[in-house]
Amino acid sequence: MPLYETVMQEKPPVVLDIGTAYTKLGFAAEAYPRKIIPSEVILSSNGQTKALLQYETISGLYDQFVDFLQMIFFKHLLVIPKERKIVIVENVFGQTVLRETLARVLFRHFEVSSIMFVPLHMSALATLAVPSGVVVDIGYTETTVMPVYSRVQIMQAFQDQAYGGRAIHAEIKRQLLEEGVNEKHLTDAILEDIKVRTCFVTNLERAKAYRNGQTPEAPPSLEYPINGQEIITIPGKLRETVFEIMFEENNDRDSLPHLILRAIIKSPVDVRRSLIESIFIVGGSAIIMGLLSRLRAEMQYLVEKDEEYKNKLCGDIKFKFHKTIGRENFTAWLGGSLCGGTDLIQTHSLTKEAYVKNDRVPDWINLTDKRSTG
Amino acid sequence: MANFMQNSVVNYACTCGLLNPITKLFFCRHCLKLRCGFCVCHEVDSHFCSNCLENIPSSEAKHKKNCCTNCFNCPCCQHTLSARATMVVVPKKTDETTKEGEGDSAKAVTRKMYYLSCLGCRWTSRDVGIPDQTVATGAWPENECSYQTRFNALLEYYQAVVLQDKQEKQEYIRRKTPKTHKFPSLTDRTGLTVSMIRRQIGWPDKNTQKAKPVNISPSLATDELDELPADIFTQPINLRNVTNIKQRHGQPSDQPFNVNKLYPQRRILWIKRSLRCRQCEHNVIKPEYHPTSVKYRIQLFANYHVPDVLLVQNEQILRAGQSSYIVLKLTNPTLHDVSITIKELPTLAEELQMIEEFKLACKIKENTATSAAAESLKSITSSPSLTSTTLSRQASLIEEPRLVEQKSNVKLHENELKFVLNQRDDSSEFDEDVQTPREEPEFIIWRKSNRASIRLNFTTDESLQAGDMVKVGFTMEYTYVNTVSNTPTTHTLSARVFIDAGKIADE
Repeated sequence: MPLYETVMQEKPPVVLDIGTAYTKLGFAAEAYPRKIIPSEVILSSNGQTKALLQYETISGLYDQFVDFLQMIFFKHLLVIPKERKIVIVENVFGQTVLRETLARVLFRHFEVSSIMFVPLHMSALATLAVPSGVVVDIGYTETTVMPVYSRVQIMQAFQDQAYGGRAIHAEIKRQLLEEGVNEKHLTDAILEDIKVRTCFVTNLERAKAYRNGQTPEAPPSLEYPINGQEIITIPGKLRETVFEIMFEENNDRDSLPHLILRAIIKSPVDVRRSLIESIFIVGGSAIIMGLLSRLRAEMQYLVEKDEEYKNKLCGDIKFKFHKTIGRENFTAWLGGSLCGGTDLIQTHSLTKEAYVKNDRVPDWINLTDKRSTG
Repeated sequence: MANFMQNSVVNYACTCGLLNPITKLFFCRHCLKLRCGFCVCHEVDSHFCSNCLENIPSSEAKHKKNCCTNCFNCPCCQHTLSARATMVVVPKKTDETTKEGEGDSAKAVTRKMYYLSCLGCRWTSRDVGIPDQTVATGAWPENECSYQTRFNALLEYYQAVVLQDKQEKQEYIRRKTPKTHKFPSLTDRTGLTVSMIRRQIGWPDKNTQKAKPVNISPSLATDELDELPADIFTQPINLRNVTNIKQRHGQPSDQPFNVNKLYPQRRILWIKRSLRCRQCEHNVIKPEYHPTSVKYRIQLFANYHVPDVLLVQNEQILRAGQSSYIVLKLTNPTLHDVSITIKELPTLAEELQMIEEFKLACKIKENTATSAAAESLKSITSSPSLTSTTLSRQASLIEEPRLVEQKSNVKLHENELKFVLNQRDDSSEFDEDVQTPREEPEFIIWRKSNRASIRLNFTTDESLQAGDMVKVGFTMEYTYVNTVSNTPTTHTLSARVFIDAGKIADE
């Protein structure tokens, strides 16, 4: 590589947010990702398409990451990964093996110069320029709630549940099968399309009516053509009730409003007030229409009526929500982009030299990594 | 090369341990080793637009966000948009129309106007209200990001915060570290420091150029949220007006819900790649610069250098534990005679040793490279600090070589098959076929110029079941004349070849 290219030209770091369903990719200090692509990889060994984060063996996962990143660098970003800085937005409670393998692929195969891992909830909050808040990430496989106070994550109050885009797809499928729709039509792509184009989150009164067994007049049904082969009817009830799995009342008390309230209650007393007034919903599944207002109504209702919350959250409670800049599905990426645009990329990255020395990625959970020296 | 789109039946094991047909392999003339797409370093050579085939310099491509300025994709179906011309009647300017006496037809002028149209789904730029343009390319409006100013403010804020943090840290370190002067200074004894004196005099502190904290308005949380529109419960929705997820992701900055917000998308550029050997850093593939050219400046494909093995026939029905044979055709692509030896595959221990040697070779090479670099630098700068940084910079990781996944499940009858393949001679194709009687080993069935067919006898493993693939694996040792240096030198190289001979027949 010519000297002038490395010295004179500043190469913007690459920011990656690899999700279970979609991967957001782009360059640091840019206001939106260049591409949002499905997290699927076409294996170079046999040409099959496979979900990126599903793997049988570690070496298989390694090859999947190599093929996937090869596509990202040479088909979408068109840059040489060698000697480039990478920012990765990661789940704080993500699998260690994914993280380690990704780092190994980047350092060994692509020879990047450094990697900076940015926690998802913190980077999402960074796009608001507020120090505290409850960050709720509604993704594909899971929903996670992390309260943050003064830019410190309150780890012991972290909550998560396994509902997200995937659970919604399953619910749509279940309801359509009940309607007698042929199962072979209901691929994941079709279910996703039905979800994003026709469904919405209904309001609290109607949801309560449904819960009490009444059937309010459903919104209009819809004729939905499938690949030009067949036309199925999507009932109006389905359109407004599939998202109810996030609000289901049950004895576990693990619906989305409960999850957020529990995260707030598990936080120290003196930070609760500022958390209540700064709730931030991000993630791809959060784009759906009506989610925020429903969530607010549910939480207000619970605080007024539910004994547990009534006793613990006193005074005039008003839940306030932040609006994202841009769409919710790349908010975390945007935080990574902001991070990569500052000098932090020089000081807080895991460099290749450090990686060569230890041959592993430091992790917050590992006590030996927390020592300031050595 | 018998199979173009299907999986090849003859595969070569690359140095890194992956199996590939010879058409997908490269041969590094400097390391004299096989390389595959996995174990070479890919580099972006040049950018071009795949639609207008224009070459775009890399700095410009970076500036344009890797998009072509002239070509657009359809936001609905991702097909390429084409510019269509229409004749539009434009009324003449007022000063011209004041001229009396001319006919009505002269009052209006027809002009050529352009709009973009998709030939795949009939989407046009008029659908979303983009006005027609007078020129076909270059004047189409940019789709701007609605929150760009807010993002810039955030970025500026965080940059200032980080900078301030850095300065404070440096200041702290500066104050903490005791000054080590060779000679005690007067001010040290008296407790007078420069900054103290400055303060006494009333001068401002020397290092006052502290980063000013940038203020930013934090995002305001609100409890007034958009309620669901009331008509959602009564009005039917028209699916044609709602974007699908692919259309939304095609426009990541705003991801519109409604199709009337879809704008033409600039077409993303393509690249030409050059490939570089990781070990010796020489190019194995370098394409021609021009986008329309499909030629290479450097092309070290393996089938120009390594004898090509082709499975010609397998006459016998394969059964477990029985002896059988296959006929292979070998071709010498080089301009030198090649002597070939076909042997058994290396055992596991030997293979592991090969990997160890490979690793060692990489390490030695690296050490010599770094020490040489250090030496040369030392002689120039004579500063040890510089050399240490170069040393650490050189620290590189290599891709772990792997064991070959596929195992041979036959036993070759002969230990060694040795024969010579003549050099390639394109003119000999047209010569009359003169059979020169020569002493041939019995396994050679046929021979013509640089090609020969051989018969390979083997016994399949007892353990094979009906329907299992019989994998014939062998090591092919061949001589290679290296012409890179001035004096051609002959080397003996080896390649591991795996052949799918066919399935075990049902009983």
